[in-house]
Amino acid sequence: MNEMNMNAEIKEPTVKKRHPRRVVAGLAGLTAALFLAGCAKNAPQDTWKPKGDNAQKIDNLQKPVFAIAGVVGIIVLSVVLFIIFKYKDRGQPIPHQSHGKPVLEITMTIIPALILTGVGVFTARTIFDLAKTSDTEMVINVTGQQWWWEYDYPVQEGIEAPIITSGQLVFPVGTNVLLRETSRDVIHSYWIPSLNGKRDAVPGRVHTLRLQADKPGIYAGQCTEFCGLSHANMRMEAIALSKEDFAKWVKGQLATYKSPTDDLAKAGEAVFIAQCSRCHQINGIKNSKSDPIVSAPDENVLAGAAPNLSHLMSRNTFAGASWDLLNNSCRDNVWKSSSEEFGAKYLAGVSADCLNVADLRDWLRNAPAKKPMYADPTKLASTGGLTRGMPNLNLKEEDIDKLIAFLLTLK
Amino acid sequence: MFTTGSKFYVGIAALSALASAVFLVTNDKVALGSVALLGLLVAAGIVAGAALASRDGEVSEGGVATSAATPAPGASLWPLVLAIGLVVLAIGLVTKPIVFVLGIAAIGAALAEWLVQSWSERASGDRKFNSLARKRILNPLEFPVLSAAVAIVIGFAFSRIMLAVQKEGAAIIFICFAVLIMLAITYIAMKPSMKTGAIGLIATIAGLGLVAAGITTFNIGEREELTLASQEKHYSHKECGAERSENFDKGSARTVSAKSSVIATVILKDGKLTAKVLGIGEGQDIITVPRSNPSSILFLNEDAGERRLTAHLGTKVVTDGVTEPNETCTQLVDKGGKQILTVTIKKPTAADAPYTLTVPGVEGTSVEMFVP
Repeated sequence: MNEMNMNAEIKEPTVKKRHPRRVVAGLAGLTAALFLAGCAKNAPQDTWKPKGDNAQKIDNLQKPVFAIAGVVGIIVLSVVLFIIFKYKDRGQPIPHQSHGKPVLEITMTIIPALILTGVGVFTARTIFDLAKTSDTEMVINVTGQQWWWEYDYPVQEGIEAPIITSGQLVFPVGTNVLLRETSRDVIHSYWIPSLNGKRDAVPGRVHTLRLQADKPGIYAGQCTEFCGLSHANMRMEAIALSKEDFAKWVKGQLATYKSPTDDLAKAGEAVFIAQCSRCHQINGIKNSKSDPIVSAPDENVLAGAAPNLSHLMSRNTFAGASWDLLNNSCRDNVWKSSSEEFGAKYLAGVSADCLNVADLRDWLRNAPAKKPMYADPTKLASTGGLTRGMPNLNLKEEDIDKLIAFLLTLK
Repeated sequence: MFTTGSKFYVGIAALSALASAVFLVTNDKVALGSVALLGLLVAAGIVAGAALASRDGEVSEGGVATSAATPAPGASLWPLVLAIGLVVLAIGLVTKPIVFVLGIAAIGAALAEWLVQSWSERASGDRKFNSLARKRILNPLEFPVLSAAVAIVIGFAFSRIMLAVQKEGAAIIFICFAVLIMLAITYIAMKPSMKTGAIGLIATIAGLGLVAAGITTFNIGEREELTLASQEKHYSHKECGAERSENFDKGSARTVSAKSSVIATVILKDGKLTAKVLGIGEGQDIITVPRSNPSSILFLNEDAGERRLTAHLGTKVVTDGVTEPNETCTQLVDKGGKQILTVTIKKPTAADAPYTLTVPGVEGTSVEMFVP
């Protein structure tokens, strides 16, 4: 054997030893990063911070279960590691093999069974608590569609006429709200982590989910069932208002439509009627012959509906809650306000000074470029020309100016 | 490394992979075809793996061909099948797609069988060994395909018989068939010494009889009642009046209906129609129905007599300029009975023409369906 071959034989094991260390270091770094991510302060969808009675019930269950599972995990891992290192193959003879240890086996069966029974009892109790509907104080119908949520409020105590809105779910604090969820197209899942667990919205079925918030504020959520191209852009915000503020909100939503008097906004109304009213409904808007305009999204959108834009500027978001209607400073002013001030600030809606013009303009200029929605006419053969979201309407810049002026009047 | 059998199935798997890739590209990701081709890929891959693992059942290991002792090839039907397949393919090109597909299937089967038969006849000088080699490679393909073909033929022939005879007679024939099959199988089970040929003969006679009956009844066609029902669309045409409809209400007492996931339960009690909405309670005279979404309403009749729930959904255009009321309804429901009515309303409620639910024959009471 020559010298070069000998060197090669010496170097090879050294390289092999380094490789696992790098992998271990990488995994440790990743684990540490994930662990530290749990310390993030700006995390509105934190499951460990319940803000309502239902979420508190889940929290009361998950923390002890997590602790028990952690202890069991550490014990099992420690035993496994001990056995790995203690009885590592060092060429020693195979020890004496015995058949069974009844006491040990029975003990190791009974202990997990007891733990699982205990966890099961409390889990079942929580499941039944969360499925309860007899104490409902308000019902809101929630309909999922690619990629936004529609909320309609049936006639009930405190709501004299039906209300329809989208993007933001508004409800009174301290009230047992029952969401009745369904979907128009594919399966979606509704989840406001700080208020309750998740519940699937399934076409043809009505699933219920309880919500209750302790304090006024905004509670963020996200569709948690993969539902297509813009699943990540299908967000929701639950807005809890004091009962007095909620009554004001209801009154505002039931207010009749008033045609704008400002010239630019009036021109925007005409653009809306010509371009947008094919799909978007504004309750009470009339055409030049004073006939009510009824939108026909079923002729343009595959799922058959588009967000109702009545009182759009009473909301803080648009396009499936993907973007804020408020600019950053005004948004912070609402989001970071105290519970006492929140209602008044939210009910102020969106003013011209606070409008997030940039995102709204981008949206009106070319919606599919901002939020992917299968709206390309060349790829719509399989849907018979129907889109899954808002198409590019090729609006002129001056028409966008007019539309924005008009939309700002929808409070 | 690769045995003959595994090469065969690896080839099928590779072709399936290629075909599925071409299908995905050319058919804009249509799921069904891709799933079928990928399924074939997986199945062929599994059989190829099994053939590799078992070295073709070790049939090819000992079979070193000795040309001096190689017997002359036996008669083969597969060239004839291939020729027939080509003719059927040509006929299919100018007649019906199904004939074309049958031609393709015949050609594919003939090529596969002929290919393996040709190889197996040269595998060794032993005819029995060669036959075993052929079986080891082709039986995993032949058995599932033949079983599926036989099941389809039996199912189709039997269904033609059932559709041709009278409804009452169909039930008797079904029972007789079942009894005959059970008796035959019981007899065979009690006679373990019975020759396989005899069992095969019985099965062949029974199969031929079934196919003959199927062909005969196929020519006779479906019984008049079914033909008429199909022509007049008995099962889709809803007659929503108060009176019993001859066709639509047939067998209504036997209806099994879903009772969950409803947006509301509409109850007829003491001549009054009200809605019960989960979370809101009973006694409602208005319910909210999501727009453009199939929504189920449960009708509960608590009054005496048969009643149906009818949804009035405005008007619909029948032909140019001609409209008629757009209605849908449940079948007649007897006292205490329930039935689901599913409505899909695409337009929001107009102030002057609300959508309503009524019970024909019960005047002055209704529930409004509000569509936001």
